[in-house]
Amino acid sequence: MIETGYFQVAAAAALAALALILTRARAIPVEKDIAFGSVRAFVQLVAVGYALEFIFDSRSLALVGLSVAVMLVVGAYTAGRRAEHFSGAFVIALTAMGSGTLVTLLLMLGLDIISVEARYIIPLAGMLVSNSMNAASIVFNRIGSDLRSNRLAIETALSLGKNWKEASRGYFREAVKAGMISILNFLKTVGIVALPGAMTGMILAGASPLKAVLIQLVVGYMLLLAVSIAALLAAEFSVRRFFNSAEQFVG
Amino acid sequence: MSCPSDEIILETRRAVREVVKGDDRILTVDAISFRFKSGGLYNLVGPSGSGKSSYLRLLNRLDEATSGEILFGGRAIQAYRPTDLRRRISMLFQTPYLFPGTVEENIRYCCRDGDADSGGFLERVGLPRAFLKKDVERLSVGEKQRVALSRSLALNPEVLLLDEPTSALDPASSRRIEELILSLARDMCLTVITVTHNPEQAIRLGGETLLIVSGRLVESGRTSEVLTSPTSDPGRKYIDRELS
Repeated sequence: MIETGYFQVAAAAALAALALILTRARAIPVEKDIAFGSVRAFVQLVAVGYALEFIFDSRSLALVGLSVAVMLVVGAYTAGRRAEHFSGAFVIALTAMGSGTLVTLLLMLGLDIISVEARYIIPLAGMLVSNSMNAASIVFNRIGSDLRSNRLAIETALSLGKNWKEASRGYFREAVKAGMISILNFLKTVGIVALPGAMTGMILAGASPLKAVLIQLVVGYMLLLAVSIAALLAAEFSVRRFFNSAEQFVG
Repeated sequence: MSCPSDEIILETRRAVREVVKGDDRILTVDAISFRFKSGGLYNLVGPSGSGKSSYLRLLNRLDEATSGEILFGGRAIQAYRPTDLRRRISMLFQTPYLFPGTVEENIRYCCRDGDADSGGFLERVGLPRAFLKKDVERLSVGEKQRVALSRSLALNPEVLLLDEPTSALDPASSRRIEELILSLARDMCLTVITVTHNPEQAIRLGGETLLIVSGRLVESGRTSEVLTSPTSDPGRKYIDRELS
C-alpha cells in the first residue's frame, strides 16, 4: 500500500509543473488554467477531505443529507447553464439528477448493497451526481440544437395531427442516447481501455484486485441506473419546454 | 353538392397576430376578418412578408392569434383538440418535408385506418403505385411535394392549407401542382386555401383571392376582379408593380 502524505503530494506537484513547462514551450495558451487549476484542485480537495473527516466522525445523517443536497444543487446549476435554448433548466436538472441519484441510492440501501453510513453514501452520491450532471448537460444541449434545427419536420408532424410527444419522439430518443453514451462506452470498455477510478483507488490503497473489481461492477450498474433516469427525465421535461398546451412549437 | 357551397366552414373575425422582436411589437396579421365557404378555392396573395403565411398558420392553430376569433364549423378553434383540428385542417409547407423511409410509410404516417389504400392516395396526386416502395431520398422536389400532398389527403381533411406549395419547384412541376389543386377543389369539393406571392398563379387557379398587404386584408373577391382591377390604393400599387 502506498503511504501518501503532503510530501508525496508536493512531489507529485512537480508532474503538474512539468505539464506547465511542456505546454508553455509550445506556446499552448493553458498556462493560467494549469496553474490555477492545480492550486484550486489542491485547496478544494484538502477542504473536502477535512469536511468528510468531520462528517464521518459526526455520524450525523442530517450532515450526510446536506452534503448530497449541496452536490445536487451545484450540479444542477452547472448542468442548467448548458441549456441555452430554453428556460427553467435548473429546476429540470435538479429534478432529473435528484431522481436519478436518490432512487439509485435508496435501491442500493434497500437491496442491502450499502448501509446507511456517510462513508458509503457521500462518495457514491458524488459519483451519481457527477455522472447525472454530465448526462443532463448533454441532453439539454442536444434537445436545444436538434429541436430548433428541425422546426420544419416538427411542424410537419404537428400539422398532420400528431401531438408534441409524437412530433418530437425521434429527437427525444437521440438526446437520451447521447446523454447515456458516456456510461454505455464505459461499460463496454471498462477494464480493457482503462481501469476506472474507484477500482484504481482501491488497488492503490492495497485492496485485492478481485475485490476492487466487484466494487467497480456495483459502481458501474449504479451509475447506469442513475444516468438512465437523469437522461430520461431531463429529456422529457426539456422537450416539453418547446411546446405549449395548444401543441404549438414555441422553441 | 355544389362547390363551393354557401356553408361557412372557416371564419376569422378581426384575427390579429402580434410578434415581439427585440423591443418591437410587429403586427404580422392585422385584424383580418373573412369567411371561407366550404368547397371553395382561395388564394392569399400579397408581397413577401405581408403576413399571408402568418395568417394561414392561425387557421389550423399552428400559431395562436393574439386577439380576435377563428371559427371552424361555427365553433371557436380552441374548442377542438389541436390534434383533431389539424387532421381536419391539414397544411402543406413551402418546402416539402418527408420523414425518412419509404413513400408508403409517409402516406401511412397519420392514417388511423390500417387498411387505407396508400396507392390510391398516390394516384390521386398523379404518381404511380410503384412509387410506394421508393425511398423518399430518391424523389425529386416536385415528387416530394406531391407525396406530401397525398399524405395530407390521407387524413381526409375538410380544409387544405397550402403555403406557397410551388415556390421550390420548376415551372413544369408547379403547373402539375396547380392542376392538382384545381382538381382537389373541383372533384373532391375540398376547401383549399393557397398562399402565393405570384398573382399570375392565383389567376390560373381562379376562385377567390384575399389580397394581404402589411398584415391587412386590403381586397377580397373573385380572383379575376381583385387581381385585374383592384379598388384599394395598396392593392393597385401591388398589382401595378407585380403585373406591369
